[in-house]
Amino acid sequence: MATPLPTTWRIAWRNLWRNPRRTGLALAAIGLSVTLVLIYDGVLRWEAGWMVDTITGPMLGHVQAHAPEWRKTRAMEKTLRDVTKTVAALRADPGVAGVDARVYAPALAALGEEGFAIMVIGVDVAEAARPARLLQGVTTRIGTREVLMGNLLAAQMGVKPGDRIAVVGQGVDGSLANDLLTVRALISTPVDSVNRQALIMPIRDAQDLFAMSDEAHELVIYGRDVEQAKALAAGLQRLPALSGAEVLDWQAAQPGMYELVRLVEVMWVFILVLVFVAAAAGVANTALMSTFERTHEFGMLLALGTTPSRIVGMIVLESLALGATGALLGTALGSALVAWAYRTGIDYAALTGGGPTNLSAFGMNFSLVIYPWLTAVDIVRVVAAVMVTSLVASVWPALRAARLQPARALRE
Amino acid sequence: MTTIRQRGIFLVGLAASAVVAAAAFAQPAKPPDVDAVLSHLDDLYRSKSSIARIEMIVTGARSMRTMRLKAWTRGEDDALIVVEAPAREEGTATLRVGPNLWNYLPRIARTIRVPPSMMLGSWMGTDFTNDDLVKESSLHKDFESRIDRRSDSPPGWWLTLTVKPGIVGRWARIEILISDDGWLPLQERHFDRKGRLARTMAFDEIRMLGGRRVPAHLVLAPTDVEGQRTEMRYLDLQFDARIPDDTFSLSRLERSRQ
Amino acid sequence: MAWVSGQYAIRSVGRNIRRTILSIVGIAVGCVLALFMESMNRGRGELFARAGSSSGVGHVRIVPAGWRERRDSRLRLADWEADLAAARAVPGVAFATARARAQALLAVGTHVVPVELTGVQPEIEPHMFRYVQTVRQGRYLRAGEAGSIVLGRALVDRLTADLDDDIVATTVGPGGDIQSALFRLVGIVETGNDDSDSAVCQVAIEDVQRLTQFPGAGEVSLVLGDYRRIDAVRAQLASRVARGDDVMTLSESAPDIEGHLNQDSAVTRIVSWIILLIVLLGVASAQLAAVLERRREFAVLAALGMSGPRLVGLVVQEALMLGAGGAVVGIAAGVPIIWRFAHSGIDLSSYVGGSYSFQGVLFDPIIYGDFGWWIPGYVTAVSLVATIVASLYPAWYASRTDPAVALRVAQ
Repeated sequence: MATPLPTTWRIAWRNLWRNPRRTGLALAAIGLSVTLVLIYDGVLRWEAGWMVDTITGPMLGHVQAHAPEWRKTRAMEKTLRDVTKTVAALRADPGVAGVDARVYAPALAALGEEGFAIMVIGVDVAEAARPARLLQGVTTRIGTREVLMGNLLAAQMGVKPGDRIAVVGQGVDGSLANDLLTVRALISTPVDSVNRQALIMPIRDAQDLFAMSDEAHELVIYGRDVEQAKALAAGLQRLPALSGAEVLDWQAAQPGMYELVRLVEVMWVFILVLVFVAAAAGVANTALMSTFERTHEFGMLLALGTTPSRIVGMIVLESLALGATGALLGTALGSALVAWAYRTGIDYAALTGGGPTNLSAFGMNFSLVIYPWLTAVDIVRVVAAVMVTSLVASVWPALRAARLQPARALRE
Repeated sequence: MTTIRQRGIFLVGLAASAVVAAAAFAQPAKPPDVDAVLSHLDDLYRSKSSIARIEMIVTGARSMRTMRLKAWTRGEDDALIVVEAPAREEGTATLRVGPNLWNYLPRIARTIRVPPSMMLGSWMGTDFTNDDLVKESSLHKDFESRIDRRSDSPPGWWLTLTVKPGIVGRWARIEILISDDGWLPLQERHFDRKGRLARTMAFDEIRMLGGRRVPAHLVLAPTDVEGQRTEMRYLDLQFDARIPDDTFSLSRLERSRQ
Repeated sequence: MAWVSGQYAIRSVGRNIRRTILSIVGIAVGCVLALFMESMNRGRGELFARAGSSSGVGHVRIVPAGWRERRDSRLRLADWEADLAAARAVPGVAFATARARAQALLAVGTHVVPVELTGVQPEIEPHMFRYVQTVRQGRYLRAGEAGSIVLGRALVDRLTADLDDDIVATTVGPGGDIQSALFRLVGIVETGNDDSDSAVCQVAIEDVQRLTQFPGAGEVSLVLGDYRRIDAVRAQLASRVARGDDVMTLSESAPDIEGHLNQDSAVTRIVSWIILLIVLLGVASAQLAAVLERRREFAVLAALGMSGPRLVGLVVQEALMLGAGGAVVGIAAGVPIIWRFAHSGIDLSSYVGGSYSFQGVLFDPIIYGDFGWWIPGYVTAVSLVATIVASLYPAWYASRTDPAVALRVAQ
C-alpha cells in the first residue's frame, strides 16, 4: 500500500498513541487551554464592540455635528441651519450609514398644575428606531401632537400612556411655545437622562413647537465602522455643508466614556495574557515531559542506527502533532461554546452569582448579557501560538536526545 | 458677605423719579444734591399699586419680537401680567403671589405652577433676570454716590455710584446721566464686579404718565453680546391705582382674556 | 510503616528528576497564577475603598432620613453636630467632616451659571476629596473664613471671572423666596475635564447655612484608617447617631460599583480555577506516565500483597511530595511577585488617561494586590489539593494493576 505520509510522520503519530491515556490527558490540557483562550477572545470581541455600540448607538453616534458654542452653552438659538440639505449631503457620503437630526429644548411639562423641568428631544424617528439606537425596539407610531415619555419621568409625574400633558417652553425667537400633547407610550432607553427627563417627538413637530425653521441642534452621524470614527469626522468636517459647524468623533465628544471602554478592555486583555501564559506553560510542560521520559527508547533507536536528525525530527513532529491535535480539539469545543453562547447569550450576573445586571456609567445603562463571537484570526492566532509553543518546548529535549550516547540512554 | 432678602414682584421700571412740578430747572452750573437725586430715582416708578400697559421689544441675533403687555402690581409681592399681543400669545398670563409663580396658557387652557428652580433664569427671553424684576434694593441705600462731571449735550449731570461694601449685587459701579430738567435718567451704565461695562440702559420719550413726568421708553443692552437688546415702552401707567382684590388669584388668571 | 512508605515515595520521586522537576514547576506556575488572581481580587476591595475615601463619598456616611430614597440636596440631618462628634469618637476614624449642599446660580455681570454649591469644612475637606488637594491658582478655603469660594476651571471660564473677583450666588430659600450672597473667588481647581470641574464649587458650610436659611448639614462623611473596618464602624455608629439619621457604608452608597467589582472577582476566580485545571491535567498526564513506567514495580508490590487502596495511597503520597515541592517553589516565586504587585501596583492610568469618575466615585486606575499572611496557606492548599486531584486517576489506574498481566508485558 502506498504510504501517503512520510515515515517519520507516521511513526510520530503512532508514538503518540502508544500511551493513549497519557496522551489523552495531555490533549485535554492543551485543548482546555485553547478553549479558554477562545472563550476569552470571544468575550473581548463582544465587549469592545458592544460597549462601544451601546455608547455610540443611542445618543452619541460615531460623529456629531453642532453649531459652535452649542455644547458649552446649550443655548436654544445656536442651531445648525439648512438641515435638510445638510442631511442629504451627509447621506450621500459613502462613509455615512445614517444621520439623525436632533432638537434639544428645555421646557416645563405638567399633567395637572404642577410643572416639571424636562427636555424635549426632537429626533428622526425612523433613524432612531434602528437597532442599537435610541428608540430601538419601539414600534409605536407617533402621530401628530403625540410624544414618547421616559419611564422614570412618567413615574415622577404620575403619567400613564394616553394622558395629555401641557408643555411650555421658549422658542428660538424667544416666543412662548406651548401645546397640549398626548403621551403615546412610555419608553426605557439605555440612556438614564432620557428616561428621567425626556419627551421624544418627531423633529418636525419639535421644530414647529419651538418656532424653528429648517434647523437642528445636533446631527448624530453613524458611519459604517465605528473604529473609523475619527477619520470620518475629519472627512466630514471638510464637507462644505458642515463648514461652519463643530464636527467631533465620539471619543472627543465624550472622553470619559472612551476611557471607560479602554479601561475595561485593558482589564480583560490583562486576564487574557494570564490565561495565555497558563496555556503556554501547560503545553510546554506536557511536551517536555512526554519527551523526557522516553530517553530509554531514544537510546534504543540510536543504537539501532537511527540518525540523530531523524530522532530530532520525530520528537519535534510528535510535539507538533500533540499540539495540533490538542489545538484542534480545543478549537472545536471553544468555537462550539462561543457559537452557542452567541445564540443564547451569557447572563453575566447569573454566571457570577448575582450582582448588577446592568452597568450604569456616565448616564448610560449597559445590559450585561454577553454575546461572544470569534473571527478566523482569533482561531489562527491561538492555534499558531500552541504550535509555536509546542515547537519551542520540544527543542530542548530534542537536542538532548540527539546528543544521547546510546549506551548511557539504554541504561536509564 | 451680607445676605439681602429680596422679595419680588414684576418691577415696572427702574430708576429716576419725578419731583414733578417742582423747581423745574436747576441752574446748569450748580450740581444737585446727590442724596435727593437718588431718592428721587428710587421712587420714580414706585407706588403701592399700579396698572400699566407696556410694549416690549426683544432684539436678538436672529430675530426681533414685539409684545404688548398689561400689568397689575400690588405692594411688593403680587403681580399679574397678561400678554395682549402678538396674537399668537394673546391671553398668556403670569401671576405672582408671594413666593409662588404660575403661568396661564390660553391656547391649551392650562395653568402651570413654575417650580422654584426655574425662577432664577431670564424672564421670558428678555435681558431682564429675576434679579432685576424682583429686587428691592435701592440706589440710595446701597450705593455711595457723587457727581462726576457735567454733560452739555444732552444737558445734565453724570453721577457715579459705587456699591457700598457688604452690599450683595452684581453691579460694583453704576454711572447715571440725569437731566437738568427734573432729574430724569437719560442713560445708565452698569459695571460688573470686575469693573467691566456689562450693560447699558438708555431712557427717552419723557412725558406725563399717571400724573408723573417719567421716561416712557427704555432700552437695555448687554455689552458683550452682539446685536442683543430689550426695549420697554410704557403706553399707559397709573400709580396708586385701585385694583380689585380678586385680581391676584388663579381664577382671575384664567378669566384674564379681556 | 508510614515512614517507610514515605521514604519509598521520596526515592520514587527522585528517580526521574526531570519529570519531578517539571511537575513541580508546572504546579508552581499554576499556583503563582492563581495566587496572583486572588491577590488582585482582594486588591479590588482596596481599590473600591480608596476610591470612596478620595472622592468625598467616604467609607461611611451619616445621612438624613429619607436620603436613600430621594437624594435631595435640601434634606438635612436631625442633629449634625452630635453626629459629627459621634463619628469622631469612634476608634479607627481617620477623618470626619460635615457638608451642606444647595442648588444656586452664580453670576458675574450678565454671565450666569447654575451650580450645586457645596458647603464644607475647609480644614478637613482636602483629606477626603482629592480634587481640592491641589489648587491650581490661588488657594483653598481657610478655616473660619467666610465669603470665599473655590471653583473648577470650567465654571470660572463660563463666568469669565478671575481670581479675587466677587461672584453673586443666588438661591431659592425655604419659603420660595430668592436669596443672594457675595463670594470672593480665592482658588481655582483644574481637574482635567469639564464635568469634574463643574462639580467643584465649594464654600464654607456656614455660608451655605446662612444663604439658604436651611440650618445644619446634609451629610457627615468618614474616612477610616483601615477600610476593612467599614462594617464594624457602621454598626457602632448606628446606635450613636441622632434619632432619624441613617448610616450608610460605601457599598450602600455605590452598590452597583461594589456589585461590578464582585462580578469581576467571581470571573477572575473562575478563570484561576480553569487555569489550575489545565495545570492539573498536565500534572496528571505526567503522573500517569510515571505510573505506566513503573508498572512492573507496582505489579511486584501487588504480587507481594499490597492492596489496591494502599497502592493508591502510595501514588497519592508521591503526589503530595510533588505538591509540597510545588508549594515551596510557588511560595518562593510568588512572594516577591506579589510583594511587588502590592507595593507598586499595576498602573493602568497610562492606558486610561489619568483618573476617571464612575457613578460619581473617583477612581485611580492603579490596582494594588493584597499581600498578607494568607499567602503561604493559600499556595499550599491550592498546590496540595491540585496535585491530589491530579493524581487520583493515575492512582486508581495503579491500583488496578493486575500483577500477572503487568509482569508479563515487557516494558
